[in-house]
Amino acid sequence: MDDAMSLQLSLDKLPIKRLESIEENGFERFPSDVDNEEKRLSLIRRIDFAWAVEKDEERKKQKKSSKEPSTPWQWQGMIENLQLAHQELSVIIDLINTVEANDAVTVASMTRPKLLPNEALSDLAVSAATKLQCYRQVGKYFKQSAKAFEQQVAREARFYGALIRLQQNWKVKRQRQPAIGPGNEGFTFDLFDNTYDQAAIIRSSLMSTVRVNHDAAGMLAINVSPNSCHSLQFGFVGTQSDDTQGKSNENKSDSEHHLGETGKESLSDEGCVKKTNSLLREVHKAIFNEQVFDLVNREAFNTSTVVSVTGIRENYLQLSLGQRTSVYLSLVSSGQDHTRVEGELTNNVENAILPFESSDGMKHDAKWNTIKKKGQFSNSTCYEIYIQQIYHELIFGRGSEKPTSSGSRLSGAQAKDGSSLLSHFFMSLAHRIFSTKVLAELENVVCKVPYLQLISNPTWHSRGSSWTLFMEVPRSILRGSQIKTVEYCEKNTIKRQFWTKVVVNDDCIIVKAEGSPNVAGLFKGKSEETHSINKYNCNLADLGVVILQQVASQIMNWLHQEALMVGIKVNRDFLSLSFELEQGETLGLVANVDPEDVEGGISWWLVMEDSFAEEQKLHINATNGASEYRKFLGHLSLDLLYATLMDFVSLCSGGSGQ
Amino acid sequence: MDPQGQTTSLQRLQNVEKRIVKVLELAGGVMDELASPLGPRKDVVQNHCLEFMQLIKDIQVALRDEIKSACEYRPFEKCDYGSRIANEICYQKVEFVMSQLDAMKQTIDEYHAAV
Repeated sequence: MDDAMSLQLSLDKLPIKRLESIEENGFERFPSDVDNEEKRLSLIRRIDFAWAVEKDEERKKQKKSSKEPSTPWQWQGMIENLQLAHQELSVIIDLINTVEANDAVTVASMTRPKLLPNEALSDLAVSAATKLQCYRQVGKYFKQSAKAFEQQVAREARFYGALIRLQQNWKVKRQRQPAIGPGNEGFTFDLFDNTYDQAAIIRSSLMSTVRVNHDAAGMLAINVSPNSCHSLQFGFVGTQSDDTQGKSNENKSDSEHHLGETGKESLSDEGCVKKTNSLLREVHKAIFNEQVFDLVNREAFNTSTVVSVTGIRENYLQLSLGQRTSVYLSLVSSGQDHTRVEGELTNNVENAILPFESSDGMKHDAKWNTIKKKGQFSNSTCYEIYIQQIYHELIFGRGSEKPTSSGSRLSGAQAKDGSSLLSHFFMSLAHRIFSTKVLAELENVVCKVPYLQLISNPTWHSRGSSWTLFMEVPRSILRGSQIKTVEYCEKNTIKRQFWTKVVVNDDCIIVKAEGSPNVAGLFKGKSEETHSINKYNCNLADLGVVILQQVASQIMNWLHQEALMVGIKVNRDFLSLSFELEQGETLGLVANVDPEDVEGGISWWLVMEDSFAEEQKLHINATNGASEYRKFLGHLSLDLLYATLMDFVSLCSGGSGQ
Repeated sequence: MDPQGQTTSLQRLQNVEKRIVKVLELAGGVMDELASPLGPRKDVVQNHCLEFMQLIKDIQVALRDEIKSACEYRPFEKCDYGSRIANEICYQKVEFVMSQLDAMKQTIDEYHAAV
């Protein structure tokens, strides 16, 4: 208060740029701009605290000078310390006010207070403890990551192990997409075959790419609904086929068993892979079936000769062969059965589309219907398989080389042309139906004649069938006179084996048989050429009669030969042998064939004829004249026939006195 | 991939992953050891570190081998889908033939039973 606060002013130079130097080339140099920070720093440095220090010194001097005379006050030291502290605090307060006014302040230097030993130690301890804590945290982090990594490795090992096993069988493709979700690495199974014959394929199925997902446990899983897998079904319209129902039930139970097994229970990895593999198989088959169905559809509308389309629905195609046979081809998902579902509809369709069929025709074929139905049931599966097979070659082109033994059902030329495949298939179908009828007729005949055997000859062609009817005269019937010297055996033994061959090509029946002995062939000595081969066409209705006639004539041949062997003069007509007795009487053995006869096909009559009568033919139905005497001998077996012949022989020889 | 010795390539890679896990565990063990309040035991730390380096070496060797033999995956150069379908068709044929034979056997049995 005594000291007047003198105010000093200092003037700064104007903040204009003053030239510092200039070089020879005229480049001017200015002093560099000073930062704001530096400006303030310099301002702070210019604060002159000297006045405060001087004041203190003056005060100290005064106090000291004033103290000297008197005894020092005991609190003097403390007061001085407090004053010093006060000064320091006032400096600090000024500093803080400057800072509060948002002026940045840089501390030029500060001397660190010297640490006391215990403080130093405690600092060290704290830093050591912090370090240990960090180590512990890092250690825990490592161990946690190790565990998590181990789990992830195990999950991925299962997934990739399964994927590799499936990759051995199926094509796997990968799309590296930006992460759509955790665990989706973009794998897909590609079931489309790029060796498909491109001309044959119209559409690529949507099903042909199957996404690979993860299930809840991280294992590989695919999302395929079993209902989207269609299987091919072939059947005959209007018949309730128990077989197909049974088959579809079986399939359903199989697939349910599959799904139920893998539903909620946890599967082993092995089981999971197997299930996925079988699902992929189903989808692959379904794609092929769809291709086959498409191709059949295309061809059905092209071929106008063999088969005509009579009905079409989604996944269902109905075709008519024009012989009162109507078939359908459909794609069914597992568990669906077209015959049951479509039963009423198809009956209506059939009745509507085929109005020209008269009911009379139906009645006549009532017998055939039962046979047809019985034959159809077992065959509809095999037609399914056959149609798949014949399209397999077409679809997969020539790339898949199969051994010809399995592919020889199709003659080579037909296989290459797609448009003829369907007609070939339906002609095979028609042939099969027809040959079933033929076989029934043949069986009917053979049942009636006990010494006749029926042998099937495989033709390995889907449109041809062949049977042989074989008759052999047993050795035991023949007399001992047949035993001749060995070298003349072949020439002199009578033919004892007779065959009749029935060959069916498409719907044309050819009957081939050995007929009457060929004179020219006799000199050649070979048994095959000693008889001429009769070959003629025949239709189904007459087949029975023709066969029986053929067999009967063969028996006649044999009897004729036997009689000649014994030395009796005997005349042979078509189905009769006649012996001459004395007085011009003729004794005849006549065969009568009747396929409708319940007791046997061939029956024998003894006919005695008086030569004085007018010319009479040994006619089966002849009833004219009392001069003819006929006795019915019945259905004779071969040994009885032979015995009868020998009786005739003895009669004739006894009569002619030989 | 042809298996070399006892293990397939996939198994060897799986072993590499297991080693990585072990390596991490070792690192965690070392850290724990260093963090122990009594100070780290030298021998334990040393053993861990030795094992660590050994494993790292094994991992590198295995990966180098596998990288050499890894090839680009060409999706199915020889596609067997055609023969696979042929196989399915044959399977159906066999099933059908078996059902026919079963029916024949049944007929024979019935015949014998009746006789």
